[in-house]
Amino acid sequence: MKSGTSIKQTTKSPDYAGTMLHSDMDEQSSRGAAAKPDPKKPHQMSLTKEEQDIMNGSKGELMAKIMKIVVAHGNAFFAEKLVDLGGAMHTSMYFGTSYMAPLIKIFNECAEAGLKAYAPYTVNPRPYDVYNVNNNAKDIELIYDGYKLQREVDYIHSRLGAPDQNRQSCACYVDEVGNAPAPGTYVAWAESSAVNYGNSVLGIRTNRNATGMELLCALLGKAPLFGLMTDEGRMAKWLVEVKTTKEPDWGLVGTAIGRKVVEDVPYITGLDKYFGGKVTNENMHLLKAMGSATASSGAVGLYHVEGVTPDAKEKGKQLLVEGYQTYVIDDAEQERVRRTFENQWIEKDANPTHCFIGCPHNTYKELVTWGKNVTEALEKRGQKKLEVPMYLFCANVVRDHLVEEEPLLVGAMKRAGMKFTNMCTVSYAGMKGFSERVNGVTNSAKTRNYSNVRYFPDDVLLEIVLTGKIPKGA
Amino acid sequence: MAKKTFQGRALLPGKIEGKALVSHAAFNTSGSYLTNMFAGETEKAICTDAANKDLYGKDLKGAIICTTTGVGSTLGGCVLMGMNELGVGAKALLYAWSVDSVAAAGLFMSDIWNGKRIITIDMLGDEFLEAVNTGDPIAIHEDGTVEVG
Repeated sequence: MKSGTSIKQTTKSPDYAGTMLHSDMDEQSSRGAAAKPDPKKPHQMSLTKEEQDIMNGSKGELMAKIMKIVVAHGNAFFAEKLVDLGGAMHTSMYFGTSYMAPLIKIFNECAEAGLKAYAPYTVNPRPYDVYNVNNNAKDIELIYDGYKLQREVDYIHSRLGAPDQNRQSCACYVDEVGNAPAPGTYVAWAESSAVNYGNSVLGIRTNRNATGMELLCALLGKAPLFGLMTDEGRMAKWLVEVKTTKEPDWGLVGTAIGRKVVEDVPYITGLDKYFGGKVTNENMHLLKAMGSATASSGAVGLYHVEGVTPDAKEKGKQLLVEGYQTYVIDDAEQERVRRTFENQWIEKDANPTHCFIGCPHNTYKELVTWGKNVTEALEKRGQKKLEVPMYLFCANVVRDHLVEEEPLLVGAMKRAGMKFTNMCTVSYAGMKGFSERVNGVTNSAKTRNYSNVRYFPDDVLLEIVLTGKIPKGA
Repeated sequence: MAKKTFQGRALLPGKIEGKALVSHAAFNTSGSYLTNMFAGETEKAICTDAANKDLYGKDLKGAIICTTTGVGSTLGGCVLMGMNELGVGAKALLYAWSVDSVAAAGLFMSDIWNGKRIITIDMLGDEFLEAVNTGDPIAIHEDGTVEVG
């Protein structure tokens, strides 16, 4: 099939919103989520006696309410039953803005009542960092005005099962953070990029949960079985053939796929040669970059890579549904997608002021690679410091791993102007009042899809941070 | 105009009469309330989704919104709850297709936990959206039937 154009319509945010809105799951919808049933006969999943008893109040009023919400939600999507959750939950409830108040109220009640998640869990990064990024007075004002309920959010998680803020990360699955349930485990995760990586690369089974629903399920220890948690829901409606002549630009390929398949599951061929049949700590960032781009340009919650990801290794092309569609990504198509990332800076010809690396959060391997590439390039040029400061977003525990293993490199990185921070890239880059005065560059298609930060491949980015200029023709 | 009746699924049933506000494009739940989310607006809920030609610039406060389904950020559920709390939420959401899972989560949380219901009927069919126009009188019944006209 000839490569085509996106069916996505973008929404322009008004100025006062900055670019914070588009933080997750644009274009998510439920087309085809359910067969047309008889509306007069609402679906009712089967419940065990214990589940029914909880709904009737055997474990208290709050647990009864939680059960009612989770069951009602499952019934709406024709869930067969509730399933017990394993592993650990990951939540996208991470920021304390005013309109979150009703949700915060729910979980504050739960925390005050002593409820706990079924297992210690992980949380998305906080939306700001008051320590590591040299905020000015205006930045601090924006932070404390915009996130007045942040303390409540942090305190809720501390009581429900996630007290350690050093592990807060959107890349909860890296070794240092350690939330990587075994293949086939039912979980209820939120955060589009984590859901996408977990379903696809780890082989866990979770739906793309609305913020809050994942926490309710974690308090209950159960989730309704439907959608991406089922064999049927994990079948692929698209065959995507990647036929680039060189290693693809992973962010562009992901963006192309997300725009094409929107919320459907793609089965991707042509990538196995970059993985040697196995996802490792050395190459996982490639799938992290591609997958998060599919989830931010579309609403992909699961993809299969032939010969690489667990479902595809087990079932191969049997994962394709009858009548699947085909999409080819070759050099020309990749270039077409690159050109759609137009320059959205307010002042088009300005020089870059910030370089954002790590959306989703950096792995250890990525930190080492950037550290060596930057410091070696500086030494070669006889230059002491970067012209554009580089912000490396990662969990504190990942940064600490680097400090332990490569202390001299970390020292050189800090002297060069590389800053480690554990906050959310998109929240920071898109913060109202901040995004308007920052000319950002990144290698993250997700950051680009959600903000006006400009996207460049790694080699071009390196030149930009060294020279402070955008190369001609880049 | 001749009255037409459609049968939907009463996810959150209720009885109400009013005028329809129609969006032929899917309703971007979070993208429609940016002024309320980020600029402190609490009196009105002017739709901020510039991509939605039907709703952009119109007041969503107390509206009976008729659309296909919902799209947008996973924050959409929180936003529906938040708008309800602010008093600028919709009175009813009428979907031609299935409700989206994000909106559904917020609607159920608001209703069951906080006792604040937005009447929600889905699966009304494409014919419903073909028949209804903004400003049409509309009556919603407890059993999920919707009368237009």
